[in-house]
Amino acid sequence: MAEEKIVLGIESTAHTLGFGIVSTTGKILANVNYVYKPKEGGIHPREAAQHHSMHAARGVMEALRRAGISPERIDGVAFSAGPGMGPCLRVGATLARALALKLNKPLLAVNHGVAHIEIGRLVTGARDPVVLYIAGGNTLITAYLDGRYRIFGETLDIAAGNCLDAFGIEAGIGPMPNPEVKAREGRKIHPLPYRVKGMDVSFSGLLTAALKLLKKGIRIEDVCLSITETVYSMLTETLERALAFTEKKEILLVGGLARSIRLRQMIEAMAKLHDAKVYVVPPEYAGDNGAMIAWTGALQLLSGLVIRVEESVVKPKFRIDEVEVKWRNLNGSK
Amino acid sequence: MEEPKRIQVIRIGAEAIVSKLRWNGFDLISKHRVPKPYRIPELDRWIRDKRTIHEAKILVELKRAGVPAPAIILLDRSSSTIYMQYIKGIELKKALDELDPVRIEKIAGKLGEIVGKMHLRGIVHGDLTTSNVILDETEKIYLIDFGLSSVSDDVEELAVDIHLLDRSLESAHHKIRERFMKHFLLGYSKIVGRDRTLEILRKVKEIRMRGRYVKRGG
Repeated sequence: MAEEKIVLGIESTAHTLGFGIVSTTGKILANVNYVYKPKEGGIHPREAAQHHSMHAARGVMEALRRAGISPERIDGVAFSAGPGMGPCLRVGATLARALALKLNKPLLAVNHGVAHIEIGRLVTGARDPVVLYIAGGNTLITAYLDGRYRIFGETLDIAAGNCLDAFGIEAGIGPMPNPEVKAREGRKIHPLPYRVKGMDVSFSGLLTAALKLLKKGIRIEDVCLSITETVYSMLTETLERALAFTEKKEILLVGGLARSIRLRQMIEAMAKLHDAKVYVVPPEYAGDNGAMIAWTGALQLLSGLVIRVEESVVKPKFRIDEVEVKWRNLNGSK
Repeated sequence: MEEPKRIQVIRIGAEAIVSKLRWNGFDLISKHRVPKPYRIPELDRWIRDKRTIHEAKILVELKRAGVPAPAIILLDRSSSTIYMQYIKGIELKKALDELDPVRIEKIAGKLGEIVGKMHLRGIVHGDLTTSNVILDETEKIYLIDFGLSSVSDDVEELAVDIHLLDRSLESAHHKIRERFMKHFLLGYSKIVGRDRTLEILRKVKEIRMRGRYVKRGG
């Protein structure tokens, strides 16, 4: 067994500036996150980047303090290389490069989506699941096959989380979970565009149609019920297809929307039909966080996936199937 | 009139159960879209109804376009079931193992014409693999399973059909793939035209590069 190493990870793709310190054996020593909250409307990339710059130095110190280690104990520095918003990504990348040079330790460029999956596998114990990655900016159905996380389905336009958040904000009740909470008082379902193509989904028409229902004077609780039930049904159905197709026996939900109670209920009902087990990432690791970047960085360090500072560009459109997942065949499928 | 009798379940898919039935001396196929317990019943009914009607409409439209596909016999909306003609024959996937090269070329060309006619009518199959092509005893070709079909003349969607067919040959019949696709495309371009075929082929190449459909439908 190799000696335990420690990796510092920095997350800064969107709202969250996160710092995690995790060992190569999977011990999470620190997970410190600062979330930018826009005064109104959606996220503004430059303002978010400013928020991240402001908290950067403090965050590193706080993470080290919580982990109870000195900077010299760090064996590698990981950062979220994408996908995400350029200005936000650059804050984390710049900080990581500086730390790696200063400490003279390897730099690790991590894919944000892969990190959501890996932290999910670490904390839930899922081994080889079909993954539904659902968040404000991402909707993906993926599973490990032949050395990579292959994309089986994805949104053709906006993300599921984005659709529900934008609806909540436009409707004046605020983003998730508010639309789902209001939906509990809904009584009547109104038909909305249900766009599923094989394992792909599309939500933009649905959002427009739901807002139109509101304008027509339909009860907001009923519109909330209609939009959440439609979005979750679409996700569950495509996930069911992917499960049947891959013949896997585990489902893992990751990303911010994995917190949804109703979605989880539906997926559990579907999994029962296929004798599959459902794992859900706990709330602390559902949203963007530093620990997931540190842990994935640790896996990359073990399998030699390091990057030179000169080559460490951010990739706002980084796809998860670009990453060679070398660590999955290191020892079985851990 | 006697009630149809189920004699065999042919396929249990993620969405529907396909069975072979016997009814007054005829063989029929039924495709029943099953309720999903995870959806609210109202929404579930609505989705199954919409899809069943969509598929039925496509089957009728195919007949009009002269594309050989199962004929609809009965549509039962209350149970989301389509009853259709049973086509006696074998899947192209299995037939390819036994046919000689000359006949393969002929079948590929003919399939190209059929898919061309379908595309010209703005219908995309959505799951065009060699398992969804049936050869009857006279080597007449039929397309089956329009569960994922759509109405579109978007180059990308048409290209996905061609790509999926190519993929299914690559995985199970890589030795004859090139020959098959060459004759398929000759037949296809006879119907849709050379320029349109080239445009679609460029898109097929792009999809392939994206690596997006690597493990789907193949």
